[in-house]
Amino acid sequence: MSGSDAMPELTCDEVREMAGAFVLGALDARDEAAVRAHLATAHADAHSEIAELGGVVAAFAELVPAVEPPAGLKARIMAAAAADLEARGGPAAATGAAAVPAGVAVPTAPAAPVAFPTAEERAARRARTSTGTWLLRIAAVLVIAALGGWNLLLQGDLSAARSYQQSVAVVLDTAAQPGSLTAVLAGEGGTGAGLAAVDTKGNVALAIRNLAPTSGTAVYEAWVIASDGVPVPLGGFAVGKDGTASFGASGLPTASGIVLALTLEPGPGAKTPTLPIVSKGVATAASG
Amino acid sequence: MTSADQPLPLRAPSPVDEADRAALLRMAEGELAALEDLYDRYKSMAYSIAYRITNDATLAEDVVQDAFLGAWRNAARYMEGRGSVKTWLLSIVHHRAIDAVRRRRPTTELPDMETALPVALTLPDVWAEVSAILDADTVRSALEALSEVQREALELAYFGGLTQFEIAERTGTPLGTVKSRMRLGLLAMRRSLEVGST
Repeated sequence: MSGSDAMPELTCDEVREMAGAFVLGALDARDEAAVRAHLATAHADAHSEIAELGGVVAAFAELVPAVEPPAGLKARIMAAAAADLEARGGPAAATGAAAVPAGVAVPTAPAAPVAFPTAEERAARRARTSTGTWLLRIAAVLVIAALGGWNLLLQGDLSAARSYQQSVAVVLDTAAQPGSLTAVLAGEGGTGAGLAAVDTKGNVALAIRNLAPTSGTAVYEAWVIASDGVPVPLGGFAVGKDGTASFGASGLPTASGIVLALTLEPGPGAKTPTLPIVSKGVATAASG
Repeated sequence: MTSADQPLPLRAPSPVDEADRAALLRMAEGELAALEDLYDRYKSMAYSIAYRITNDATLAEDVVQDAFLGAWRNAARYMEGRGSVKTWLLSIVHHRAIDAVRRRRPTTELPDMETALPVALTLPDVWAEVSAILDADTVRSALEALSEVQREALELAYFGGLTQFEIAERTGTPLGTVKSRMRLGLLAMRRSLEVGST
């Protein structure tokens, strides 16, 4: 039966004979396809036994000793599904419309107007930050990590690519700590796409790309906005021609829902932000 | 109206079945949190099956990832079928796992058409369970009640991922006999499980 390249045409008796092997997955692909072709014709009613035997095979799952999967597997699966959803260009946005704050939109398609969120907006975002939100964050991390490094490689800037990858790795290490918060930062038109993680001690690590290079005394200033709505400066950094930056600070509030934002300031030491906001994101707990 | 609205042929859906079906509907609409729900519910069983068959932690991870992504991408198709989401999902895991071990075996011939099949066709069928209250002891008793050669054929197929030809070769048994052992063994188990669940 498997000796011929052509798919065999089976009789009902032959299919009945192979029923056990079929439901156990013990046919080779050619025979399995032949059985399926047979069942797809007018013969299905003659093979109700196949469904009965298939139900028995399902019971074999009860015999398997329980082994817990590695903790990281869930993140891999969810990231892959999020990437799949994004690639479809379909309900990703639809899902996000219901459950994903604008601040955590994937950086390739930021949809949020760049402005400081009001207290009501922050409260609404916290309320909408459901269990599915962090999944998009993972996808965003992958996009940031992959596209950022790739673009740099295309530009021939290997040392910048390595530096960027290292800064992403630092953020991921922080994000992996129990109780940490993560935020995907995005600005208009993909500007300032980045990822930040805040550990339980209030230390933040940030990796970001697609920033316009600074010149003169100008710096990008990082801000945190907690529940009181007051922007608090975290420190400034300059950006070179590769458009990437890493940044660290301490003393941040560790409550889920804090907003991280970047502004471009004429010089270091700004006490109030100079609008517009270049990039921002809401830091929330990475559940699961 | 989808077939999800129709009663199951062998037993009424349990609350978990209903939650699973709802999750599938949400997955079909692109809701990632629904996939997360399903993963949390069945991650242990899925990984256990994959690990038991592949005996390789890395390969088992790949199998489980592939299976859940298969479910994610084909959630809408499930609605056309019968049986529980759990059965469907674990069947995907089983099929992916035996695919993986067959690809790993250098002596296994991989038919060209396998790679040409669209993803949808490589998904397993949806079969209703024989009972909603099966446990390991009941299933083990049903399996142990079989003749040794029937049990061997079923275990080599399900847990070993061997094809009927490979089982025939390994056991030195005519192919027709292997087919009979698998079919009659499953029929006997079904009778045992039906009795055991009533």
